[in-house]
Amino acid sequence: MSQQPDLKIPERRKLNTAPTSLGDKIFFRVASGAANFSIVLVGLILVFLLWQSVPALQSQGIDFIFGSNWDAAAETPVFQIGPMLWGSFLISFLGVILAVPMAIAIAYFIEFMASKAVGRVATTLIDLLAALPSVVLGLWGFAVFTPVAAGWAESLNKAFGWFPLFASDGAGFLASPFIAGWIVAIMIVPIIASISREIFSQIDRDLINAAKGLGGGSYSIFKKVILPTASGGVVGGVLLGLGRALGETVAIFYVLNLVFEINWYEILQQRGGSIASNILARFGEAGPAEISALMASGLVLFVMTLIINSIAAWVVAKAQPWRKNQ
Amino acid sequence: MTNYIPEAMPRPTNAAPWAKVDAKKTLRIVLASTLPAATAALLAISFGWQFEFTLLAVFLPLQLVAGLWLGTVTAGKRGRGDALLVIFTVFFSALVLVLLMSVLWSVVSNGAAAMSWQFFTQNNVYVSANTSLEYGGVGHSIIGTVLIVGLATLVTVPLGILIAVYLTETRGKTRGLIRTLIQAMSGLPSVVSGLFVYAAFIVTGITQYAGWAGSLALLPLMLPTVSRIAEESLRLVPADLRSAAVGLGAPNYRAFLQVVMPAAKSGLVTAILLGIARIIGETAPLVLTTFAAATTSVNIFNGPMSTLPTYLYGFISDPSIQSAQRAWGAALVMLILVGVLFTAARVMTRSRVGKTTKKIGK
Repeated sequence: MSQQPDLKIPERRKLNTAPTSLGDKIFFRVASGAANFSIVLVGLILVFLLWQSVPALQSQGIDFIFGSNWDAAAETPVFQIGPMLWGSFLISFLGVILAVPMAIAIAYFIEFMASKAVGRVATTLIDLLAALPSVVLGLWGFAVFTPVAAGWAESLNKAFGWFPLFASDGAGFLASPFIAGWIVAIMIVPIIASISREIFSQIDRDLINAAKGLGGGSYSIFKKVILPTASGGVVGGVLLGLGRALGETVAIFYVLNLVFEINWYEILQQRGGSIASNILARFGEAGPAEISALMASGLVLFVMTLIINSIAAWVVAKAQPWRKNQ
Repeated sequence: MTNYIPEAMPRPTNAAPWAKVDAKKTLRIVLASTLPAATAALLAISFGWQFEFTLLAVFLPLQLVAGLWLGTVTAGKRGRGDALLVIFTVFFSALVLVLLMSVLWSVVSNGAAAMSWQFFTQNNVYVSANTSLEYGGVGHSIIGTVLIVGLATLVTVPLGILIAVYLTETRGKTRGLIRTLIQAMSGLPSVVSGLFVYAAFIVTGITQYAGWAGSLALLPLMLPTVSRIAEESLRLVPADLRSAAVGLGAPNYRAFLQVVMPAAKSGLVTAILLGIARIIGETAPLVLTTFAAATTSVNIFNGPMSTLPTYLYGFISDPSIQSAQRAWGAALVMLILVGVLFTAARVMTRSRVGKTTKKIGK
């Protein structure tokens, strides 16, 4: 029988990672202060917008969001942003639908088809597209693209006019959600493309090579390996693009006709809406009551984009596990 | 043991990726990729069809048929999907590049007419809709843009880099939250940022329309770009460097300032440059906070200022030819500025590898 030696296990030593020197304490304090500032900033934006929009929200009630009338000159001013809200969504959906094939195609092209040199050039061009000021895109859309796209819209209407989506009342095809959707699509292609490209580039090459070795062609690899692995990130990128599209202001300010009557789906009509453009269009001549209403619509826009972007950021982070805690 | 070749499984004829591509195959590929375009072009010219119609209704179907044929001939049923994938990828990629080129080309070709020395130096005081292009320019707007963007940069860059430091150097508990928030902030609508500064500083009477209010409105827009790229570049610094410095007894802040930051220098400069490129064209927040002015103003703390975006914004919808040309000219100036920033950022990123560390002992 062996005697258990009376070993006393010393208590676990506590590791202390807190900074000890004064310099480090200041360093870490300042850094976390800056980080907390970003939370404070978002909070401040919410608080100030809310504070300013109280009068409008009180006088308009729930109809502020669902009604569709805007009259600042009336005896009791009416501010209802229903058509603008829906218009923002319609244009953003349209933009996303147009942008997704373009973005995924260019990401796939750069990552899997192009040679290194061509890929680098294409990447630079896409980054340049992301850096284009939106007001320049607005100028281009107004002066160059609108006539061309109106031609497209007219042919669409001629060929598929029986389909409600492409119906027209014959008033013309300029300044429709269709054209604004194209402009928005051009703006968000780089966002979706760069995230998709990054996800594509991180797919395990062994998976792809294994699929090739089993006799897979590029299509079956795309369908069975690339898409399932990358779908999370691509969805996140699309959501980020959607958030960006909702808030786009100047680029569609010139190519859209703001009408306070909900245009549910007739994308070729010259009736559209956009919260952000509405703010820009009315801010200059607005009195205090109208400013309050514009603040309230800005608040609605901000809350919407914040929700969409937070979901997007979360999805993107989820889809990039290799970035966790690096 | 003798070589065992299973007879029940004949070797597929096309399963030899190492084999030399024979002339017949090459010919097929060339035919399938040129014939549809040539046919469509010929038909379009002889019948006078519209470009868009030819592209969508003639060329694409022909190309699809040709691609399917090529795919089927070379790889059987599997080849069809591959061919479709290639055609759609190239088509949509080309569409993006054509749209981008159209933007660039129209800005350059239309803006060139307005370019002259005086366009860069003069302001807009005595310019009306029909004033000839020989008078007036964007000088005051360039000054305004430089001042406003400069102030925004001065405030945002330290903040952004410190956030990046928090995300990479510390073990703070809220890193995930901050990262998500920063990512979400990058989608902040620019007009909302303008409304916020209007509500917080102009409604409350702290200031009238002024340049610095514009700088503040640009801050939330620039911050995510700077901190995200700075975080990326700090993360590229090998952890060994940091550990070595700390192991030698350096406090964390000195390890960061003297080891990590110099190693990530080019990345940090890229972050600043791309941050500036992000906000230099922002219009809506400036319209709401600094307004526009026709005169030259260098006082960023008082009175409206003109910037390139607001200058452009004011001229776009004016129907006169001169105004349109001024707008295109301002767009070209902005594009040049963005291009310069962008190229500088590219150069900085390229030189990131290898050149920054000096040999020890010299």
